[in-house]
Amino acid sequence: MRERLGKLTENLDYTLLIAVVLLCFYGIVILYSSTRFGYGVVGENPLFYVKRQSLWIASGFLLLIMIILVDYHNLERFSLAIYIFSILSLILVIVVGRITHGSRRWLYLGVFPLQPSEFAKIALIIFLADFLSKNKTKMENFTYFLLPFFYTGLYILLIFMQPDLGTSLTYIVILIIMLFVVGSRIKYLLTIFLVTFSSFPVLWHFLKDYQKRRILVFLNPNLDPLGSGYNVIQSKIAIGSGGLLGKGIFQGLQSQLKFLPAQHTDFIFSVLGEELGFIGAVLLLFLYIVIIWRGIKIALEAKDIFGALLATGVVSFFLFHIVVNIGMTMGILPATGLPLPFISYGGSFMLTNLIAVGLLLNVHLYKIKW
Amino acid sequence: MKDSYQIPKEIEQRINWLLILIIISFLFLLINLWHLQIIRGGEFQERAVKNCIRSLVEEAPRGQIYDTHGELLVNNRPNVIVSVIPAEVDNLEDLSIRLSKLINLPSEEIIIKVNKNFENPYKPVKIFDDCPQHIIIEIEENKDKLKGVILEVNPRRNYIYQELAANCLGYVGEINKEELERSENSNLQGGDIIGKTGLEKYYEEFLRGEKGGKEVEVDALGREVATLLRKKPVPGNDLILTIDKDLQRFGEKLLAGKKGSIILSNPQTGEILALINQPSFNPNLFANIISYEDWQRLSTDPNYPLTNRAVQNTYQPGSTFKIVTGLAALEEGISNSTRKIYCSGKFTLKDQVFSCWKKGGHGSLSFVDALSQSCNIYFYIMGMELGINRMEKYMQKMGLGEEISIDLPEVSSGIRPSAQWKQRELNEIWFPGDDINLSIGQGYLLVSPLQMHSIICAIATEGLFYRLHLVKQIISAEGQLVQNFSPVLLRRIDISKETFKLVKEGLRATIVKGTGWRANSNEISIAGKTGTAQNPHGENHAWFVGFAPYENPEICITVFLENGGEGGEAAAPLARETLEYYFRM
Repeated sequence: MRERLGKLTENLDYTLLIAVVLLCFYGIVILYSSTRFGYGVVGENPLFYVKRQSLWIASGFLLLIMIILVDYHNLERFSLAIYIFSILSLILVIVVGRITHGSRRWLYLGVFPLQPSEFAKIALIIFLADFLSKNKTKMENFTYFLLPFFYTGLYILLIFMQPDLGTSLTYIVILIIMLFVVGSRIKYLLTIFLVTFSSFPVLWHFLKDYQKRRILVFLNPNLDPLGSGYNVIQSKIAIGSGGLLGKGIFQGLQSQLKFLPAQHTDFIFSVLGEELGFIGAVLLLFLYIVIIWRGIKIALEAKDIFGALLATGVVSFFLFHIVVNIGMTMGILPATGLPLPFISYGGSFMLTNLIAVGLLLNVHLYKIKW
Repeated sequence: MKDSYQIPKEIEQRINWLLILIIISFLFLLINLWHLQIIRGGEFQERAVKNCIRSLVEEAPRGQIYDTHGELLVNNRPNVIVSVIPAEVDNLEDLSIRLSKLINLPSEEIIIKVNKNFENPYKPVKIFDDCPQHIIIEIEENKDKLKGVILEVNPRRNYIYQELAANCLGYVGEINKEELERSENSNLQGGDIIGKTGLEKYYEEFLRGEKGGKEVEVDALGREVATLLRKKPVPGNDLILTIDKDLQRFGEKLLAGKKGSIILSNPQTGEILALINQPSFNPNLFANIISYEDWQRLSTDPNYPLTNRAVQNTYQPGSTFKIVTGLAALEEGISNSTRKIYCSGKFTLKDQVFSCWKKGGHGSLSFVDALSQSCNIYFYIMGMELGINRMEKYMQKMGLGEEISIDLPEVSSGIRPSAQWKQRELNEIWFPGDDINLSIGQGYLLVSPLQMHSIICAIATEGLFYRLHLVKQIISAEGQLVQNFSPVLLRRIDISKETFKLVKEGLRATIVKGTGWRANSNEISIAGKTGTAQNPHGENHAWFVGFAPYENPEICITVFLENGGEGGEAAAPLARETLEYYFRM
């Protein structure tokens, strides 16, 4: 234990930790700005969302501490159990989950609504890191190379029943990047890529109407200027009108007038962009870059392939969420409904983010010394 | 010092490639941000500041409702609302004084309304509903003095015949918090109008259209300069009912001033031709937001005008239940066409005396006579010999204690007593005296008029339970058929032809020479059964169930009068009048 505490103080990645803490603070401020007029049904109490989010952050940091207290190599032993558990939780959602806004994503354990599909992202990263690090050489064989697609496919199948396009895509991106990093043949990856693209017309049939509409509206916002397209147009006006310095915190016209849809969850970046301008947005991106940069560094210095894969999995998870969410609010990527790490309101997602950071920190504790 | 293991060069290389992807991603975001905020920033700032772009919601008209012959019963009429957009008002006090002169509302009240209902500066706050034509003109003419005031037009539900069939049609109102949370429809928002009861609620998904909206550019005076975007609202689907307006209206007049229900349906299809409830209410009062006074008056009225008595309330069925007891007795072989029982007017069980309604007794009676004379003693003995377990089986067969399948919300299932039920609910065993009470429809049994009606339909068709329904077609606003409700046979009960024949003979005899003689018509052959439910809390409830023509039933009727007195005296004549009207139509 003493040795472990020594490692903790010696090898803890303070830069990463500070960036995460700053991001959480940043998130709380923006969340307050976007919800203080009582957004949504809850109304009245201007601190309602801020209080809840703070509670989630606090519990997230507790989880994070618990994670770095245990050697991450223990995860290898439990990876299959974690995989099966997360699959079961996704099945449970389909069976007993609660429906909000037309999709079944939530599981009510007591008073806390949990979204198993978020935690499943971590489960997938752990499982794939273990599987790929153990079977690295076998991946030369194409049939073997397809196995992880099967494992991930099971998640996607279950998520599609919810249905949640954004989350499904996150799983795929995590899988592809981890496969790439572990050294899979580029030829294989390209084959998969081509097959997926050519089967797109078939996949199209499996999409829910609203998902089809989102993609179509993305391609041509004028199809639905007051529905899905409206969101994007209003969001663009908000971000664009922020200009260089922004209108000042709590001063956003668009945001405070609630022209913006889901402005405390998926579209929270629009509030930030409007009120704090280009400078505020760049500050946010800078903090993200710090996290990603530390993540890559941790992967490169990892003691073993398992650690390196855990780190790249987490990096790809963050990267995809950041790019897709911000791209969506700026109207350059389709509205897939992926939240913004550390900033968007949402308990399960916040916990998932902090667990992911815990994994990064953990891998870093055992880094090789040059 | 070096640790035992290190990641292979190859993986390191791949991670470096990943780094390139990361750099590209962030550059992509940065460039786009730069483009949106710095290069095009000015353009968007202009758009946001002069957000003289006003977003207005256009409500979709709900589907209309027609009677079976295509006569319009429910439609929508334009409701002009005077609203204020707080952000566009320079001085609220001045404005309220000017506005109050036009709309006859104290200026203080206007200010209170604006402050109370303020949500955000750009959301119009409703001041005045149902604005009459001459005020509309005045407001339009004084637009320059009324900056910030807008006129919105919303469709408002209009029940053309006021109270007609109100308990079936239901009413609409603003969605409340629970309904919003329970809803699976993500397009619903606070303030939306939805069906609250009746058909309006049951067919909500069909009736509600899709909201539209527009973004308009307005000038400094708040006048619309250009429409930037527009999404047309999609009207809801229309319902075509099985209800016949004239028959419904005739029945309602017949019941006027009374409390009760009349149900008329085609037993061969389950189509309900009239579902009459009195007292009724005017659903137009609810069309937008009901006034507090009206709501108080309606919801505390001791006669419950908002309740659909036929469907939602349950009562003891009295002697109409003898149909079920008789059916069970015949089918179980306890009675037959020849078995006679002597009625002395009294029946003694240990030290308890149960009497017939006819003091001197009926003398010796066959099954058909007993049913037509509604002799209690005969059915006491049937009930005793059958016992509760067999009775329960037949009550279940006839759908008692279970929800009737009908296209209305909040259907009561009533109480179907049994030995277990009594043990569970009252912690008492089932006594032979309970058998006696049950045999004539007294005691614990509770049924809705609709359940009794479903039974008489099954008698008329000799065992067929068709799904009762009030809507026969759903038609889109363009006139396309959305859904057609053809008859649905829910179940067929296995009871012999002879049993039905005898029961039906008894029902015909009831009208011709029995307790239901007041329902005897010289125009049509009616069969039926009267019932008087003892009510310890007040006047007895009067029942009549029947069908016509006896030979080939095409219509079934149930008449129920709460505290209406004797079934034969009060309910039977109403049934005759209604049926005669139906056959004359």
